Amino acid sequence: MLHAIKNQFATDEIIVKRHDLYKVNVVRERVFELITFIGNNYDYKVLNAITCTDWIEDGHFALTYIITTIDRKNTFMVQTMINRDEAHINTLSKEFAQAEIFERDLAEMYGIDFVGNENLKELSLENWVHTPPLRREFDTLEFVNNNLTFREGRDDNLDVKVEMKRIRAEKKAAKAAAKKLADEAKAKTEELPDGK
Amino acid sequence: METGFLQEQKTLEGDLNSETSHQSSVDYLMNWFRKRSIFVLAYGTGCGAIEMPPTFTSRYDAERLGIRGAATPRQADVIIVSGYCSYKTLRRIIRTYEQMSNPKYVLALGSCTVNGGMYWDSYNTIKKLEDYMPVDMYVNGCMPRPESILEGFIELQKEIGAGKASSWQKYEENYEFYRKNQEAVLGKTVEPSYEADWYLYDGGL
Repeated sequence: MLHAIKNQFATDEIIVKRHDLYKVNVVRERVFELITFIGNNYDYKVLNAITCTDWIEDGHFALTYIITTIDRKNTFMVQTMINRDEAHINTLSKEFAQAEIFERDLAEMYGIDFVGNENLKELSLENWVHTPPLRREFDTLEFVNNNLTFREGRDDNLDVKVEMKRIRAEKKAAKAAAKKLADEAKAKTEELPDGK
Repeated sequence: METGFLQEQKTLEGDLNSETSHQSSVDYLMNWFRKRSIFVLAYGTGCGAIEMPPTFTSRYDAERLGIRGAATPRQADVIIVSGYCSYKTLRRIIRTYEQMSNPKYVLALGSCTVNGGMYWDSYNTIKKLEDYMPVDMYVNGCMPRPESILEGFIELQKEIGAGKASSWQKYEENYEFYRKNQEAVLGKTVEPSYEADWYLYDGGL
């Protein structure tokens, strides 16, 4: 199987991650051809997930289709690179119905356009008008500082850990002092009979 | 001298009758009724909802204090905002809160409602609940144990009994302030659309 795929599709070596887990890189145009090929010939017919990794330094998204056999024993990861700036790829939802919601998620979180998927509307973010939040150029902290208000800290603004240490030390000192006092009193009462 | 749970009950209820001298008899009676029959909306947001079942069932038994569940917003007195509020949840919380009838109270659980908690740098979670809706009582902790929740309820009961808890009036008086803050994070359409068949025409979930 690996030879056939390598000869026909792969751009570089097929990585055998485990005895039942393979990964192959292909060009964008041939992804669906490869998925159909392994589905028809080797029983890889279950789409588990579509994942995306943002390689901002290299300027592309790595889109991975994770496909398993019907008995769920072997897994194939078909990976393809798409350009970050004009991120679009054909939809897989014609072959796998469940791809629709994966693609909807990726479209929302990364801004990838899945051509042919007619249901790419918002999934968990409502009225989102900013950069898609899982793209790495989206600065979460900056967004939060600009858009949301924080509660101001306490007036004293003390460090909790330092304060806890201080209080503990104080308690210990108080305990030691009390013990010393008790010892002294005890010693005094013991001394009294001797004094007589 | 009572011991065990009787002692606990006495301690919990000890202060419930204090600070009522400024009220008229009718107010006193009304507040007494209100504080003794608190119906809590069966609605959980975030992880804090997991602490509510033990609070209301036999182990901690909130009903001995007159606190019990209500099925719909129209019948409820208290809404518990239990944990972080993402924008999407906040929209539903506000709508639910606005459906409740007066007098109504808000109990906010957990660090997330106080200052964002562990979601302090999250892009879709609000940090301060009182900017968007009035809050009567905060119970901090991550998560607060049922004991803390009960203590929060007792404090709320004290305030209700003294006639001090009036967050719904605050919401009506300062509605523009709240609305402005809500629109800042939720966009112009704060409420979800009211169509009943949203799950049919919308392409489903």
